[in-house]
Amino acid sequence: MLTVLGGLLALAVGAGFIGALSGLGGGVFIVPALVIVAHVPMYAAIGVSLISVVATSAGASVAFVRDGWTNLRVAMVLECATVSGAVGGAFLAGHIAPWILELLFALVMLQSAYFTVRKQDAELLPESDPLCARLKLDGHVPGDDGRPLHYGVRNLPGGGVLMVVAGITSGLLGIGSGALKVIAMDYVMHLPLKVSSATSNFMIGVTAGAGALVFLSRGAVAGSIAAPVALGVTVGALAGSRVLPHANVRALRAMFVVILVLIAIEMGWRALSGI
Amino acid sequence: MDELLERSQAETASSQALQDEDRILRRWTPMLLRTILVAATALLIVGLFLMARQAPGAYVARFKAVQAGKIYSRQPWLTMVGQAVAGDPRAIVTIGLMVLTLVPLARVAFCFLLFLRERDWLYVMFTAYVLFGLVLGVVLGRIG
Repeated sequence: MLTVLGGLLALAVGAGFIGALSGLGGGVFIVPALVIVAHVPMYAAIGVSLISVVATSAGASVAFVRDGWTNLRVAMVLECATVSGAVGGAFLAGHIAPWILELLFALVMLQSAYFTVRKQDAELLPESDPLCARLKLDGHVPGDDGRPLHYGVRNLPGGGVLMVVAGITSGLLGIGSGALKVIAMDYVMHLPLKVSSATSNFMIGVTAGAGALVFLSRGAVAGSIAAPVALGVTVGALAGSRVLPHANVRALRAMFVVILVLIAIEMGWRALSGI
Repeated sequence: MDELLERSQAETASSQALQDEDRILRRWTPMLLRTILVAATALLIVGLFLMARQAPGAYVARFKAVQAGKIYSRQPWLTMVGQAVAGDPRAIVTIGLMVLTLVPLARVAFCFLLFLRERDWLYVMFTAYVLFGLVLGVVLGRIG
């Protein structure tokens, strides 16, 4: 038992560590680690991964909103979209052939690789559009001189549609979908990058929690695997977030892109060859 | 003069709301989240420890069964609680995982209370919808 348990813990710590360093979260790495290395079926890996995403987010969330970057109103409006998508996605996951899930996972890996390359900050929007202004979605970020800078928000419908997709992806594939969430908030709704990252972190736990609840109440979470993986991913993520400030992020980013593309190829190959 | 007075009252009300928000978010939320998290972690560790002590062979057998595709294991919640109280490691682990999922639920519930205190009805509705979605997840999972 200790060999299996130790192996799962080591896999989970590694996935959590890389997930935190890459900013993509542990889910993106724990699913392929379980499927490819531990030979766990895709559907079981998704349930375990959703739990581990909740655990990682819960570990980080104790200090949530203290950072001053999280926009609680944007999070709540968009969570309506992500939770709807996640519940639908998790429900569908039980009724879709595993090879389709693996193929979708490969495509999401490629999207994550693209996001890792493209990540950039946008300029602050001076005013919100009428709908976002009515919903009081604008906020303030600390400027270089410490004085608060006002930012506006736009295109809530566009961001909402992407968030439904992020929710479906999360529930269907067992990932946090942080990359898609940041794209929706950063590129589409024009939130500052740090605000969109912090707000996304806040939302990930709730989105994954919605999917995890579907899997748990369905009895589709293998507790004996999920327990060590949840503990290991959280420890790995904590270690990764400690190392991150001292790491050469640019060099790491190139490495992550290679890892993501390799995982995409492996998962895509498994899907198409029916392994 | 009236306009100045109104503005001053509005600023005071806004500052009060911010203080409430601050107290709820900075003090009560982390405290409750930490308690739930510690409880879930303790249950998971105790469950795994008991598995290792009582039936290490059963753990490996269960892992191999999952590898073979036998994933589902559904029991009525009350039965599971009874088994956990009786010291069944698998039931303890499952309950630990359920407690863990209370963390995001609690976060949304706190936001609900926050917007309720501020009488921001639109956001009370949004937050209620998110809570409803989470509960719907449980129901849908039970259905199929």
